[in-house]
Amino acid sequence: MPTEAPDNAPQNAPVLEVQDLSLRFKGAPANIVDGLSFAVRPGETLCIVGESGCGKSVTALSLMGLLPRGVARVMSGTAIFGGQDLLALPQRALADLRGDRISMIFQEPMTSLNPSYRIGDQIAEIVLRHRPVTRTQARARAQEMLERVKIPAASNRLDDYPHELSGGMRQRVMIAMALANDPVLLIADEPTTALDVTIQAQIIDLIEDLQKESGTALIMITHDLGVVAEIADRVCVMYAGRAVEEGPVAAIFDDPQHPYTIGLMSSVPSVGPRSGRLATIGGMVPAIDNMPDGCRFAPRCPFAGPRCDIAPPLAELGPSHRAACHYAPLESAFAEAAG
Amino acid sequence: MSLTTRDKIIETRAVTKRFGGRKSLFKPATSVSAVNGVSLAIKRGETFSIVGESGCGKSTLARLLVRLLTPSDGAVLYDGNDISALSEQEMRRLRKDLQFVFQDPFSSLNPRMSVGALIEEPMKVHTTLTRSERRQKVADLLNRVGLRPAFANRYPHEFSGGQRQRIGIARALASGPKVIVGDEPVSALDVSVQAQVINLLEDLKSEFDLTLILIAHDLAVIRHMSDRVAVMYLGEIVELAPNDALFDKPLHPYTQALMRAIPIASPHGRSMKAALSGDVPSPLDPPSGCRFHPRCPHATDLCSQQKPAPVPVAGDRTVACHHWEKIADDGQSPVQEPPRSPNAEKRFALFRTRSQQKEPTTATRP
Ligand SMILES: Nc1ncnc2c1ncn2[C@@H]1O[C@H](COP(=O)(O)OP(=O)(O)OP(=O)(O)O)[C@@H](O)[C@H]1O
Ligand SMILES: Nc1ncnc2c1ncn2[C@@H]1O[C@H](COP(=O)(O)OP(=O)(O)O)[C@@H](O)[C@H]1O
Ligand code: SF4
Ligand code: SF4
Ligand SMILES: [Mg+2]
Ligand SMILES: [Mg+2]
Repeated sequence: MPTEAPDNAPQNAPVLEVQDLSLRFKGAPANIVDGLSFAVRPGETLCIVGESGCGKSVTALSLMGLLPRGVARVMSGTAIFGGQDLLALPQRALADLRGDRISMIFQEPMTSLNPSYRIGDQIAEIVLRHRPVTRTQARARAQEMLERVKIPAASNRLDDYPHELSGGMRQRVMIAMALANDPVLLIADEPTTALDVTIQAQIIDLIEDLQKESGTALIMITHDLGVVAEIADRVCVMYAGRAVEEGPVAAIFDDPQHPYTIGLMSSVPSVGPRSGRLATIGGMVPAIDNMPDGCRFAPRCPFAGPRCDIAPPLAELGPSHRAACHYAPLESAFAEAAG
Repeated sequence: MSLTTRDKIIETRAVTKRFGGRKSLFKPATSVSAVNGVSLAIKRGETFSIVGESGCGKSTLARLLVRLLTPSDGAVLYDGNDISALSEQEMRRLRKDLQFVFQDPFSSLNPRMSVGALIEEPMKVHTTLTRSERRQKVADLLNRVGLRPAFANRYPHEFSGGQRQRIGIARALASGPKVIVGDEPVSALDVSVQAQVINLLEDLKSEFDLTLILIAHDLAVIRHMSDRVAVMYLGEIVELAPNDALFDKPLHPYTQALMRAIPIASPHGRSMKAALSGDVPSPLDPPSGCRFHPRCPHATDLCSQQKPAPVPVAGDRTVACHHWEKIADDGQSPVQEPPRSPNAEKRFALFRTRSQQKEPTTATRP
């Protein structure tokens, strides 16, 4: 089953284009995700990176139509996928897309694996739900997928229950399920955060290989800059529900522009020889009922000045590299301290 | 190198901890040796770290070191005295010296106690301070870990992860300890907050002359904070070495594999390759011989038959592998962090300078 870009799309048009997405929880005085835009192209890996609570998971859930109903609401935005706006589709149409043309992998595999069904049946089920195949064919597909995600002795594992597998194996099963119908877009929400580094390396390798084979577009949500550096083509850095910087992975690491990106990168300890005390970003993310009206990073930003009372727009600072800071590039605004 | 008793604050001799059912002649073993015959010595004033995959016995070993667990076999010595068989009563005096910081301190603490009461409690047990002296010390400690003294009247659930960790640290300091064990003290924290707590731990360690025993699964945190590092695999220490030596030239195949799996935060160093296949075997039924042999790329017949003993190696280190000398010769240094770009360097420096101008301490001010 070859993967195709959405119907009628020109060759390098985005698989998914999100524009001005805002989400709000019931009773909250401000948007938890605020004016977020990003796009991902065929075969491309977009990493969305940010600290816990910045809105990564709710963003992913909103695209899949999985926000908790009555609790969270889409305030604005469009998410164009295959010519349709995901945010405007009825639940039934979204259910047809999920697990077929768009798939999602969660941090905790047990949230999407049913503990009381055999894993082979669970994979076959998702194939049967979306494809005109027989039970036998679906089962064969399940085995093929378990082999593709390199589960040893796959044919013997089809009848295992999820609890009989290790954390790493469960994550492989999740990936097998997510890719069983050759999706055009895969959204992975911290798929390796709960795993040991050795197992994480296996899973990242696997995702990269499978993506290369199939040409699937990948949105990888993570808080780990190491994982970002490892697999991203493009990066979107989020802070408190907004995109603060966005660009090709090399630009983000070699030419970081936003104070938050810079602070985040310099507070990660290095695996190289120690180079003194860690830099830190003071304070913490403001609570939603205490969100500044202007730049949301202002209370923690060492560069904050009078202009920061107004929210800065994302501005172009290099080839397809944008940052939302009034004072970027910082060295020209703060020349005196640079020397 | 031989250490005198004065240098060694904690020592273990072939310490073992088994959990679960007793071995019987008729049934297969149902007990797990979570820690299996570990001998090590922790130097006064050092930061000693333990790394390894989930379930390898790090927490169990750490708890044995400060007698939060009683060994099944072997001995644990504190200041040269065997503490493995002390009664609860006798241990009470030592508790003052040996404190523990958990991954999330409040999962194990009474949510109905105020922060002040939580920090005061160890002082009540271990010191003769008066009520008002204790109150004063609570305020001092809160201040020292970067929190407002007024927080003493609030309750745990009102705080963020980073703040809770600071409160946990203040509580651990309250009795005036000599040793603090941190079991993943920063793992649950976000990067920016993690850096604050790492700096705080380092400051407190030198200010209070502490010995720090650190468990972390993040090898970058280990590299940044440790003096020496012990690498554990299935309940055993497979390599123990000074920090830089271990990262510059890991000798044991397992250490090498761990290091190759570290994701490097630079797009020019895309090197992370799954060096290890398979999962950690069940500790219920550990492999024969070298416990690492089913996953080891260098394993020979000898490895599945005979357990390698830890051997001393030049440079104050030990390694437990039959073939380490041959393996060491393949000469690759697995952890390479490419240099930062000039633009990144420049802006990091600017960020540091501005942060220091704006905020002289690392204190959190919510
Ligand atoms: N109270 C207990 N009863 C039975 N088995 C236990 C107990 N505590 C630990 N174990 C087992 O001992 C082994 C080592 O556990 P330990 O908690 O020390 O691992 P760890 O290295 O700290 O892992 P992690 O990184 O996940 O915290 C595991 O197999 C675990 O299941
Ligand atoms: N069901 C819910 N009700 C209220 N608030 C929620 C709910 N789910 C998430 N939130 C809040 O929304 C924010 C963003 O959450 P999330 O998207 O899960 O963050 P992350 O970036 O860590 O994935 C957080 O502040 C979180 O507390
Ligand atoms: S806009 Fe102002 S507060 Fe926001 S990041 Fe830039 S300098 Fe800092
Ligand atoms: S003893 Fe053998 S199996 Fe064990 S680590 Fe050394 S080479 Fe590998
Ligand atoms: Mg999340
Ligand atoms: Mg543990």
